[in-house]
Amino acid sequence: MTGPRSIIAEITHRCPLHCVYCSNPLVLRSGGDELSTQAWTDVFQQSADMEVLQLDLTGGEPLARPDLVELVRAARQAGLYVNLITSGVGLSAEKLERLVLARLDHVQLSLQDSQAGSADEIAGATVHARKLEIAREIQRHRVAFTLNIVVHRHNLQRIPQMIALAEDLGAHKLEIAHVQYYGWAFRNREHLMPTRTQLESSLELIRAAQTRLAGRMRIDYVVPDYYAKFPKACMGGWGRKTLLIDPTGEVLPCHAATVIAGMRFENVRHRKLRWIWEESDSFQRFRGEAWMPEPCRSCDRRTRDFGGCRCQAFLLTGDSSVTDPVCSLAPAHDRVDDIVQRANAGDGTGSAEAGPPSPAAWEYRRNPR
Amino acid sequence: MSRPIETSRPRLAPGCRIGDLPGQTAVLLIPEGALQLNQPGVRIVSACDGAHSFREIVQMLQQEYRAADPDRIERETADLLERLHLRRAVDF
Repeated sequence: MTGPRSIIAEITHRCPLHCVYCSNPLVLRSGGDELSTQAWTDVFQQSADMEVLQLDLTGGEPLARPDLVELVRAARQAGLYVNLITSGVGLSAEKLERLVLARLDHVQLSLQDSQAGSADEIAGATVHARKLEIAREIQRHRVAFTLNIVVHRHNLQRIPQMIALAEDLGAHKLEIAHVQYYGWAFRNREHLMPTRTQLESSLELIRAAQTRLAGRMRIDYVVPDYYAKFPKACMGGWGRKTLLIDPTGEVLPCHAATVIAGMRFENVRHRKLRWIWEESDSFQRFRGEAWMPEPCRSCDRRTRDFGGCRCQAFLLTGDSSVTDPVCSLAPAHDRVDDIVQRANAGDGTGSAEAGPPSPAAWEYRRNPR
Repeated sequence: MSRPIETSRPRLAPGCRIGDLPGQTAVLLIPEGALQLNQPGVRIVSACDGAHSFREIVQMLQQEYRAADPDRIERETADLLERLHLRRAVDF
């Protein structure tokens, strides 16, 4: 069978930020249980042997691992393309230089907003100014540079400022992604959901900027599931393109899969990656079409969206094997409709409740033990 | 301008490179993606070093593929470079 095209390595769950929409699971892995440098190096070699092309080094904050430079070097030596997904916090000019010398291919730096006050409120830490400094350092190196900004009800109106900031910082690519409601974001959903009016005006702004900046800066825009007519092909389908390895070596089909009750996942400490991909129960569970319920089973779109996201189905209905409720054809779609309706109460500008909630209203991401 | 002109000097953008492994010698790796190239595509991308002009790259291919229509070589080289430029994989 075809191996994965990319591997997401969550090398630690430790992080100096506390973002209210963090995609990490609610139950975080502690530093003491993390895989060693040697164990990760072995995983990278196994990945290259399976003809994996891309590696995402992420977290938590990957810089929390003192061996990050060694990990980048090991992954490049194995033959992988190395993406580093970072908040930038803990990235000194000297550390960046060592990462580039280790032949890091691509840095994705996250910002929470175009302005410090609201960015720092979302992050639960005073970090925005420092991130801008490190962005200027990244700009000086010959490494691919993407800025990632997560958008939601309280910053969606600043898309023009975000684009201007990305141009000023010399990013090659700007990824503006709506919050998706898993992990900590699911907890804070009521405060984060944009309105339909906000979403529509943002689409126009993005299209205009994409045309204006063609060939200079690429802009990717990821729209929110809850407003889609059909679900996304989550991770390109369960066990089809990608796998994720958590800090302790547990191998998951996606970021959120540990929420699904009753699923047991394998660990690279005990099993080879190829066996886990090809043979394990967890990766077989939602592969192919045999598991599909109606309306997916007889739907023309089943080979495109694979029934949508299993974790979203579980979070919204308690059953991971039903059609993703964001699908307009799903039996449980009324749950999403209710949530969307609540978000659109008021004048539709998202400012009906007089600005963002006070910090006390957020549930911030905590740190692992 | 997304299409190269005669004097454009295309250069692979940072973080864009042909794969290292034996099975990847015709794969252009880019941030979070990969593009499968044909043999002329590999020649074109390998010449995107910021030193060779678009005209020189086209001439090189026209010499290597003498049986092919020279205008078509020029058009298809420009098409590929335009596509790569829009993905921010090649600068010029």
